[in-house]
Amino acid sequence: MRSLTVSIALLLACAPVSAQIRHIEGVVSDEADVLTGAVVSSGGLNCVTDLDGRYGMDVADTTGTLSVSYMGYRTQTVRLKPGQERYDVRLQTDNRQLGEVVVTGYQKIDRRKLTAAVSTVEISDEKTGTVTNIDQALNGQVAGLSSVVSSGAPGAPVRIRIRGTASINGVQDPLWVLDGMPLEGSDIPAMEDLKDIDEIYQTSIAGISPSDIESVTVLKDAAATAIYGARAANGVIVITTKKGREGSNRVNFSTRLTYEPKTDIGRLNLLSSDEKVGLELDLLSSGYTFRKSKGAVSQILADLGETDAFIAGGWNALSDGARSAIDRLRSVNTDWNDILFRPVFNQEYNLSLSGGNSDAHYYTSFGYTSEQGTVKGVGNTRLNLNVKGDYRFGESLKVGVSVFASNRRQDSYSTDYNGFTNPVYYSRLANGYFEPYNADGSYNYDTNVQGKEDSELDFNIFEERANSRNRRDDRQLMAIADAELKIGHHIRATSQFGLQYDSYDLARYDGEDTYAMRKEKLFATYSYADGKRTFLPDGGRNRTTSSHSRQWTWKTMAEYENSFGGKHQLELMLGNELRHTESSSVYSVAYGYDRRTLTSQPVIFPTETSASSYPLYRETNLENAYVSWFANGSYTLLYRYTVGGSIRFDGSDMFGVARKYRYLPLYSVSGLWRIDRESFMKGLRWVDEAAMRASFGLQGNIDRNTSPYLIGTFNKVTILPGNVETVISTETAPNPSLRWEKTSNANVGFNLSVLDHAITLDVNWYYRRGTDLIAQQMLPLESGFSSSSVNWAGMENEGWEISVGSRNISRRDFTWTTNLNLGINHNRIKSETVAENSTYPSREGHPVGAIFAYRTAGLDDEGYPLFISPDGDAVNAEQLLKLKNGASTLTAAEQRNLYSYMGSSDPVASGGFINSFSWKNWQLGMTWTFNLGMKVRVQPSYSPTSYDRGMNTNRDILNRWTADNTGSSLPALMNSGKRMQEYIQYSEFNLYSMLDIWVRDCSYSRLTSLRLAYHLPEGLLSRLHMHSAAISLEARNLCVIATDYDGFLDPETMGNPFAQPVPKSFILGINVGF
Amino acid sequence: MGMMKRILLHFLSAAAVLSAVTAAVSCDRFLDITPTGRVIASTGEEYRALLTYEYKYVPEDRGLASFRSDEFVFGRNYTSSEDIASFFDIWTWNDYAQQPTTAQFGWRRYYHAIYISNYIIENQNDISDASAAEISQLVGESYMMRGYMHFLLVNLYSPAYTACRPDTARGIPLQLRADVEQVLKPSSVEAVYRSIVSDMETALSYLNVREWDAEYRYRFSILSAKAILSRVYLYMGNWEKSLEYAQSVITEHGGLVRLNVKGAVMPTRYDSEENLLALEQVMTSLYKGAGRPSMDVFRAYRSGDGRKSVFYNQVTSSSVSLLKGGGNEFSCSIRTAELYLNAAEAAVEMGLKNVAVAYLDSLLETRYSASAWDEYKPEIKVMDLETLRETVREERRLELAFEGHRWFDLRRWDRPAMERTYQEETYTLDENDPRYVIPLPAEVIQANPELGGDFI
Repeated sequence: MRSLTVSIALLLACAPVSAQIRHIEGVVSDEADVLTGAVVSSGGLNCVTDLDGRYGMDVADTTGTLSVSYMGYRTQTVRLKPGQERYDVRLQTDNRQLGEVVVTGYQKIDRRKLTAAVSTVEISDEKTGTVTNIDQALNGQVAGLSSVVSSGAPGAPVRIRIRGTASINGVQDPLWVLDGMPLEGSDIPAMEDLKDIDEIYQTSIAGISPSDIESVTVLKDAAATAIYGARAANGVIVITTKKGREGSNRVNFSTRLTYEPKTDIGRLNLLSSDEKVGLELDLLSSGYTFRKSKGAVSQILADLGETDAFIAGGWNALSDGARSAIDRLRSVNTDWNDILFRPVFNQEYNLSLSGGNSDAHYYTSFGYTSEQGTVKGVGNTRLNLNVKGDYRFGESLKVGVSVFASNRRQDSYSTDYNGFTNPVYYSRLANGYFEPYNADGSYNYDTNVQGKEDSELDFNIFEERANSRNRRDDRQLMAIADAELKIGHHIRATSQFGLQYDSYDLARYDGEDTYAMRKEKLFATYSYADGKRTFLPDGGRNRTTSSHSRQWTWKTMAEYENSFGGKHQLELMLGNELRHTESSSVYSVAYGYDRRTLTSQPVIFPTETSASSYPLYRETNLENAYVSWFANGSYTLLYRYTVGGSIRFDGSDMFGVARKYRYLPLYSVSGLWRIDRESFMKGLRWVDEAAMRASFGLQGNIDRNTSPYLIGTFNKVTILPGNVETVISTETAPNPSLRWEKTSNANVGFNLSVLDHAITLDVNWYYRRGTDLIAQQMLPLESGFSSSSVNWAGMENEGWEISVGSRNISRRDFTWTTNLNLGINHNRIKSETVAENSTYPSREGHPVGAIFAYRTAGLDDEGYPLFISPDGDAVNAEQLLKLKNGASTLTAAEQRNLYSYMGSSDPVASGGFINSFSWKNWQLGMTWTFNLGMKVRVQPSYSPTSYDRGMNTNRDILNRWTADNTGSSLPALMNSGKRMQEYIQYSEFNLYSMLDIWVRDCSYSRLTSLRLAYHLPEGLLSRLHMHSAAISLEARNLCVIATDYDGFLDPETMGNPFAQPVPKSFILGINVGF
Repeated sequence: MGMMKRILLHFLSAAAVLSAVTAAVSCDRFLDITPTGRVIASTGEEYRALLTYEYKYVPEDRGLASFRSDEFVFGRNYTSSEDIASFFDIWTWNDYAQQPTTAQFGWRRYYHAIYISNYIIENQNDISDASAAEISQLVGESYMMRGYMHFLLVNLYSPAYTACRPDTARGIPLQLRADVEQVLKPSSVEAVYRSIVSDMETALSYLNVREWDAEYRYRFSILSAKAILSRVYLYMGNWEKSLEYAQSVITEHGGLVRLNVKGAVMPTRYDSEENLLALEQVMTSLYKGAGRPSMDVFRAYRSGDGRKSVFYNQVTSSSVSLLKGGGNEFSCSIRTAELYLNAAEAAVEMGLKNVAVAYLDSLLETRYSASAWDEYKPEIKVMDLETLRETVREERRLELAFEGHRWFDLRRWDRPAMERTYQEETYTLDENDPRYVIPLPAEVIQANPELGGDFI
């Protein structure tokens, strides 16, 4: 060991070995900047460049060449000339390797000293396919990162998870960082129910055009993220935007023209008019009572007074008039898919100008994107502008300023309480026999699809569409200024000030002739002395929300970097960060609104009570401040062994948080061993790179919404006339025993690159253990509250991330490369406190996404589900749950034991498989993404107690159990008059959706991108005075290979039949540079 | 060593630069942000605001329960489809297999008011910026709130005290601590009433406001606490106590509004002479507009009864609309007229015929026109006890119609059979039907399965 050290020391020492020596010196740089840590070798001696990229060494007179190498760059050899002392070397990047430095947002870390698990993705159409938002680009590109589209609507955000789920209740979205500034407003709200899906929503990421982005770095383990503190518990995604490079001015123009075909809802397997009419007749004669006056058949018979005749005598007992009216229904087949959806054509244009000289660089870009939804009337446009400049003042000061501005507009349909105005929802529920227009062109009102037994309100989706609007305008401005000052050769002080300003205006308009307005007026009915009528004025309603949020982050850091004797390298960083966020919103509503004259009318409220139910104005304001201190450091020996560590303290103004919970230090320790630098590897020339890294760290999270104290919000109310009083409402349960949620995080990684980088392998194993995790727990309502946050569980995630890249074929004209990114995650709940009142089992020993269900044993001789009892017998629900008045008389613990574990809703393995071929000037790329080995609980295709015959449904209902179809596995429709106990249980409790027949396997792989591109040859380019030119054709989401997802549009949205489908698209891209 | 020194020196100089930058901002001051709109109650005013919120949102279930009694009829012509969707199942006593749109009787809201009451009682020693008298009054009101909420709950979800064996009949969970982690079991009806009485009697030792001015009359006072106690004891069949409290209130504040004159004010007005506690609206405009008063009720008023024209508006010969209720100016939880009726009922049950007649006379003399009263008064005077009991009950029905009493009175008296007809379909409630007790909502049992099992 000792001799090894000595020999390495000799190798690296910048000392003369012969008597005749000469001095050489210079600066090593790349196109943009000086390079620190480049290895300069000459005459058997090595030397490393300092912070300013400078080197200096004394070499033997006889030495003829000098070579400079730096990871990620082509090694360059310079011939030494007699008498010349200064040799400045500019290195060219080597595209086969990723960047030499890793951008963490706080620092740029030399990859040779990197102890953390990070992945970098270059953002370009070739690498990631054509996307309009950056969050869509990461799908399948990074092992351990999973992404799911929240909705198929244009501009809808993507739900990203890094290394599985770390928290249950807290935020699970990663932190996004733009050029060093952590962004606010990038979390996606949980959108579970239908009404939320209709909300138009975008995160702050949506304002950034992917064509301005150079690369994205995903920070995964504690060594990388600890410096970000509590916000980084779910990983960090760092965006690095493009900047100007030294050289002549460049102009780059690109456009993408997209065609999206109409959504095909054939997979939903809905009833045809003929089948629906048949079903309605069946239900009527079978005596199924739920909403018996609904459906066109019931209405025809009721109008003709033949309902009883039909029930008694069937079809033959009907008059000719009734028969022909019913037969006419069978012949009408309105294609809702055709009239509610459309194919669309979308456009995107980007123009950028960049350039610079040795002292200043600039980058300016302008972009326009217009996306239309396949749902008529839904669309999204974006205008964005990016101006960026960096300047050097002398040798020691660098200043950079960048501004990102964007303006977005989203149009959608207006939503009502029931969700019928959502075309996706309506297209599944509207009957084929219903015609939306009368013969004279006027609106025909659909009285069936209202979710009620009896309603007199008129609803027509086209009228609704024509007379309402839902529009959101977003404006975003982000400005980042940084300065870097070098103090001597070893110290660098940097400071960055970032400002983010987001605002939006949301305007929701419902005209007088809409269902939404009719309903609003009906609710606002008052019994005046002369009769009942609404107190809202004639006309429509205009609701506007205007929201502003602002944050600034100011961080200042001092970095020290030095190497000693060529063997030891030390880096230390100490920093401080101040952050301030503020958000406010104002909501107002005008009634009697006319959108043509922009006038509204005052509301004359009959009583103070009714006035208080219609607040015309609401305002919110939230302000928070944070102070953080952080430090990190690393020590590297011989460029071979590195140990590092980081620590951070966060302080904030959190209101109602006990002082002891204000600060929790978060830390990490890590190490790197570059095996390829060992002497024993010398003989293995085919190994380019081999390294191992390990880290351990602690991360934490506190639930900001729960306090040990009873926190209230002020309000003003009137209880008795004329007396306005202050009240404090307290609807959040206090929890004095709530503690920090803590996650410890271990990572061991190995990367290998062999045969001149023909095969690269990056394997990471991680283990994350969360303790004191916080979740919402349902409280007995006798507490006065419905739920509360509690520390309820411990959870572990263990997983492997494997990235394999290979250059399969590499000829002069043809190359084929393959990348496989695979993430395998095992999640297990170590301990879980199940609430005493919970009837759903504990997940202890199972994954967090565990799905439990009741084991069924088919149906009994009346078509009611049978269950497997704990004794193994087949019993009905009444016997299983010991029902009384429809409710179970079993204790909660006994009810928990009746469930069986079915599997997990999280995939076991997920990732991407990417192939790229290039032949001469042609390129073909193919990206498959996959999620394997999960279960999904699907929504039952019909409810046995409350199937509403006024609505269309899936064909499953035709195969339900009936006296003539006793072989069916789907239960009979039940009546309240029969088997009352079971009827109540099925209609009031969620037993039915908990049957095992609604749990399905789900594994799928999607061809996310198939892209063919052609680059104009060099000769032609120079004749055209062009720098580059390419044309491409890409198909996105072309096909899916999946386990059974019958009855649903996509395997991703099997849980929710009303989600917008993942759209297929074809994109023509043109990219030219001058 | 020298090397380490150099590093340290370099580093310290960098740190100095840093601290110069950050020292400009004092951390504590930077973090000291007073949140807008959010608060942890500490002053007397803030504790008062906590309780005011609960006063504001006391459920109007006594009005909703009115649909189950014999006061309302629904009709195709005047009941809107929205009201059918919300109230039809309640009106037809369809407690199981309800439409999803059916209105729900409250549960959590009551317990939230109870939570805040407990919170104030438990934290009374930490209230700042308030006089001892103010704090004592607030604590007294909290005890009243807790008692009254339990009283409403037990009357909605359990059999009437006088219609069951109270020591074995299932009551409701008694929540006597501000602790969200408890999982409670139901207590017996008797235990619940014991707690209600104890809370209200305790309240009397804290309360020091005899009567509130009209605009604060939703708050409990000494008088309204005693008045409510008279009702609680009446519901328990504790006639002596009921009579005692009724007498005590009437002596102090027994004024009645004359309804037998032209332009008489509605006695349920919050600022009327009769109103003792203007807490619940009972007949909100929503409930009031859902149906029409049953003609059986309207026709039961004798001619010359001033209440007919004060309470109702005759629309056609076979249809009337209701004037009582419909806004916060008609908030009324208890008024003096009820105390006369409580006293009369208690006296009848105790066999004190003359006492009963005296209380009835005092009330009715302000209700009937002079000529009608001249005719009716002698009739009452000669009634035997049984007829008098019926008369007292009938007058209670007419006087307190549409004020949220009828369903509870039916429950504690005879639980008669009832029948409804709507669009040729008939719905019936049998005599002593189990549906005289409203079942616990499914979500309540889901959140606490202890409440679903049998009560032992």
